[in-house]
Amino acid sequence: MTSQATQGAMPAPRARGWRRLPESVWIRVLSLLALLVVWQLASMAFTERYVPGPWNTFAAMGELVQSGEIPRHFTFTMTRMLSSFAIAMSIGTVLGTVMGLYRRGEQMLDMWVMVGLTIPSLCYIIVAFMWLGLNDRGAVLAIAWTTFPSIAINIWQGVKAIDQRLIDMARVFRCSGTRRILTVVIPQVLPYLMAAARFGLGVVWKVTVFVEVLGGSDGVGYMLNYSFQMFNMTDVFAWTIFFTIVMLGIELLILKPIENRLFSWRPDIRA
Amino acid sequence: MADIAVHDLSKVYRSKAHPDGLLALDRISLAVADHQFVCLLGPSGCGKSTVLNVLSGLDQHYTGEVRVAGAVVSRSNAHPFRVGYVFQEPRLLPWLTVRGNIEFALESAGIPKSEWSERINGWLGRVGLRDFAEVHPHELSGGMQQRTSIARAFAIDPEILLMDEPFSGLDELTARSMRELLLGIWLETRKTVIFVTHNCFEACFLADRIAVFAPRPGRIKQEFTVDLGRPRDYEDPRLFEMSVKVTHFVTGKLAA
Repeated sequence: MTSQATQGAMPAPRARGWRRLPESVWIRVLSLLALLVVWQLASMAFTERYVPGPWNTFAAMGELVQSGEIPRHFTFTMTRMLSSFAIAMSIGTVLGTVMGLYRRGEQMLDMWVMVGLTIPSLCYIIVAFMWLGLNDRGAVLAIAWTTFPSIAINIWQGVKAIDQRLIDMARVFRCSGTRRILTVVIPQVLPYLMAAARFGLGVVWKVTVFVEVLGGSDGVGYMLNYSFQMFNMTDVFAWTIFFTIVMLGIELLILKPIENRLFSWRPDIRA
Repeated sequence: MADIAVHDLSKVYRSKAHPDGLLALDRISLAVADHQFVCLLGPSGCGKSTVLNVLSGLDQHYTGEVRVAGAVVSRSNAHPFRVGYVFQEPRLLPWLTVRGNIEFALESAGIPKSEWSERINGWLGRVGLRDFAEVHPHELSGGMQQRTSIARAFAIDPEILLMDEPFSGLDELTARSMRELLLGIWLETRKTVIFVTHNCFEACFLADRIAVFAPRPGRIKQEFTVDLGRPRDYEDPRLFEMSVKVTHFVTGKLAA
């Protein structure tokens, strides 16, 4: 809106090209440039061996893409990540719903979900690897295990926050049971489900890399560890940046659009 | 015919604070004729809203007999009649537009889709929201939200209309215009209405009959008939007189 306002009565804003970009985008671009400058200065101050400069890092990234290492290891990491995320989301949603709906379920489970949340993920990882071995099954178990308590807690809060008064309204107007769930209950829980998914993905990302460092033979975490063993700081930087790019991509290309679609009615999100 | 017959209705609430049960309604009997506008008047906590919950089918744990249009009130989904309900808060679904909220009620009531747009436009026009059909509730003022909720209740063409202090959350000026709006619509449609309020003047302004409730246990203390013609006028001295009479009764009796 700001860009249109500054253009006044211009009939075809499209014609202005890059000038159409809103101020917020400019500030982000500027902050990125500032980061590059600081990075370059740091590299000059501490030498390339400890802080590889942006250009060397980008060159290393180019090589990694060309060699096919990037798609290969990201496929491994993403597969582990998504399967354990799906498992954690399913278990977390079921537990959270039971805890939110039934007082007895809450009394039985709330302490253990809290305990599950406080146990360090390293403990789960070690136990999972000792049970299932240093393989994908062990990795997925470890990641899902670390992640599901936080998802359960989000869903639990969401189900508890369901407004009974709206359900009563629907019943008075003789809305059928299934439609009541679909049009009155689920829209109320969706924001919490979305928060749970986002939070869960954040945990899954970190733990997946961690698991791969400890017991992987492929994947981004493994490659980070490999670069560490070689003391190849440039590759450590390159992998970290790729990782960040993929995470941002998921956030901006998948999560944000879903959220905008689902919650377009909410004033704070539309703004 | 959509008359209401409540006979010996009692309701006991069980809770941690009252393990033996708290008598919320003690053998209430009330007959409301078709097309009649009855107000249930009394302080909060005397069971007025409980009566509405029973009539709407929300609350099915009671003793006594409740009939609407001759049929015993049982599970809400099996009602042979349609209930319009205006709650104290608008209770609109925030993710639906004004139109969507009314459609929700129409679909729930099984109104054929071909009639929807005519009904929605007609009712939004009558409550003064013709231009707000595509707006979400949070963009409306409290009064406009309550207008939407009134349009929703009338749009399903209910046999009976239940209203639970619908104007008590609004400022007095808005509430005034809403009462006039409601009476105008009611004169056109002549639904059978039960209207819960704690406002004596509001009860006298709106009702044909007033049932005054007393608390602990909730029961009907007295009934008044409001013999004033319609349409009614806020400035009518007889209305004021009536309101004073009812207020004296309510405050006097309950203070004793």
